[in-house]
Amino acid sequence: MELSVPRPWTAESERQVYANALEQVRLADELGFDYVWAVEHHFLEEYSHCSAPDLFLTACAMQTSRIRIGHGVVACVPQYQSPIRVAERAAVLDILSGGRLELGTGRSATWTELGGFHANPDETKKTWDEFVRVIPKMWTQERFSWNGRMFSMPERAILPKPIQKPHPPIWVAVTSPGTEIDAADRGLGCLGLTPGGFKESEVRVNTYRAHIENCDPVSDIVNNKVHTVNFLSCAEDGDHARRSGLKVASMFSYMASQLLSAKEVLPTNSYPSAGLLPALRRESGSPGDAAKSFKGVTMGTPDDVAAAIRQWEAVGYDGINFIAQFMEVVPQQYVLDSMRLFAEEVMPQFKVAPRTLPVAVGAR
Amino acid sequence: MPLAGSLDIRNLLDDAPTVTLTDREMHIDAVDILQVMYEIGFSDVEALVPAALNPTIPPVVGFLVYQAAESEFGPFSLAQVRLTARAGVRPRAYLVSACCDNAAAAEALSGSWGYRIQPADVRLRRFHDRVECTVMADRRAILEVALVDPTPITGHDIQYPPGMHLARVADEKGTTPRLIQVDSEYEFQRADRGRPELGTFDAAAWGDERLVAVEPVSASFAACDVTITNVRYICNPDIPAAEGTLNVGA
Repeated sequence: MELSVPRPWTAESERQVYANALEQVRLADELGFDYVWAVEHHFLEEYSHCSAPDLFLTACAMQTSRIRIGHGVVACVPQYQSPIRVAERAAVLDILSGGRLELGTGRSATWTELGGFHANPDETKKTWDEFVRVIPKMWTQERFSWNGRMFSMPERAILPKPIQKPHPPIWVAVTSPGTEIDAADRGLGCLGLTPGGFKESEVRVNTYRAHIENCDPVSDIVNNKVHTVNFLSCAEDGDHARRSGLKVASMFSYMASQLLSAKEVLPTNSYPSAGLLPALRRESGSPGDAAKSFKGVTMGTPDDVAAAIRQWEAVGYDGINFIAQFMEVVPQQYVLDSMRLFAEEVMPQFKVAPRTLPVAVGAR
Repeated sequence: MPLAGSLDIRNLLDDAPTVTLTDREMHIDAVDILQVMYEIGFSDVEALVPAALNPTIPPVVGFLVYQAAESEFGPFSLAQVRLTARAGVRPRAYLVSACCDNAAAAEALSGSWGYRIQPADVRLRRFHDRVECTVMADRRAILEVALVDPTPITGHDIQYPPGMHLARVADEKGTTPRLIQVDSEYEFQRADRGRPELGTFDAAAWGDERLVAVEPVSASFAACDVTITNVRYICNPDIPAAEGTLNVGA
């Protein structure tokens, strides 16, 4: 969920976007979707009004009973927030959701956000690394102290503690090449944010799998899951589904392109790629083109969508996080109908095993 | 909907360069390039770029200076003021205007690639602790900009998005207003980055007094060979680039 709000911004338009998103989450819970994720973004104008995802996700948790609550991607940048506050808020969310929290970590890719907080893009890999090492300790140690590179604190009890023991699963947002290795080496789940090609994706998944076998985990559990992202548009009329889905995908790409990537304005090797856009831009044929469809897009009839999912499954992904709406470019009723049809006709083809929880290190 | 450009180009067309489309390329060896970027104020951001383009969030002005020790026109220096923009989903830089100290080079750049150029004294000076550029027009400084405390980087970390230059393109009807997409290729020998510093920026002298630099972003320096390639794409400035782009070159 990006919670994008088209102009003009009014109290009613923002309320409606949040209300629509909550309705989608309630339905997803009822239909058997596994996760809802809500991002953390700041200053991105129409692209996202999701600056307090923990609050939105608390509402999601209180209105659902089964779906996992994905708090991510949380920006692990100290100018945005202290890791203490991330650990505290996430623990509360785990309690209120009855132990359904998943924590996604990342570092922002836009100058729009990083510059807005006067954060140094050169530092974000390093600060992310420290966040993911301290947060599990904050969750699991009765009292915690730290003297690190970007963060230190005297001994204190960071409370409350999450319900899930030893702690909720942790993921990493992966856009830049090589971040899948960072995730694997630390025993963290891989939350792919760019729908690359099949071959490129297979290489990254295989690299992740190879590395996580010998990881040095940041805590006592290893989350060895790899997810990718895609656009969901499912209807009996395949052409209608593709038209609707492409409206969402094109608007997503168009709005994202207005943001300034850190890489674009600051020469830094901290951001090897420009973020979530390159894969979409790569599909554009001429300078003015909007994004076109990419191979494996999950749009069309239930059979089309199932076929696309099988391709991603063959690549080695454990799950797909779907974007079903953006800027309210398709009617809310269409989004809900698309989810229902997906749940009725596609999901049963893949729901063969209950979701497995992260593996304790000693049990691997 | 995305923010879209609404710059009134009518006044700009009066003195816009006239471009004759050819397959001309310009290769220049050993060019020193300084690029300094600052965020500018958001007010009226849509009115800063033509309707074909979208402004970026936030809007950023780039001061891009070339100093060529030798070229087919002899030594020349070129300073450009550009705004970050988008053509559809692609990163571009809209050229506000440029200054050049070599009339022959200026004529070639205007006539083939639509650089809007005024004559000026453009000086780029390299020191161990800074790289600075001063542009003097009518014996008055209209730009003083610098990179401070350079540290080595790889050239591949620097991005120079293609320029979008408002011009009149010669055709069978006379001339037609178009945005010329100017692509360049770079072969880097060395690169540095450092702290940006802006002393003087007389925005009115560069053609748009609304540009107010408010927040430093970055500064880079590169020594490289540059090839300005032949014009491949032109855009109707009045409609979104997604609809109004024409392929005119190989």
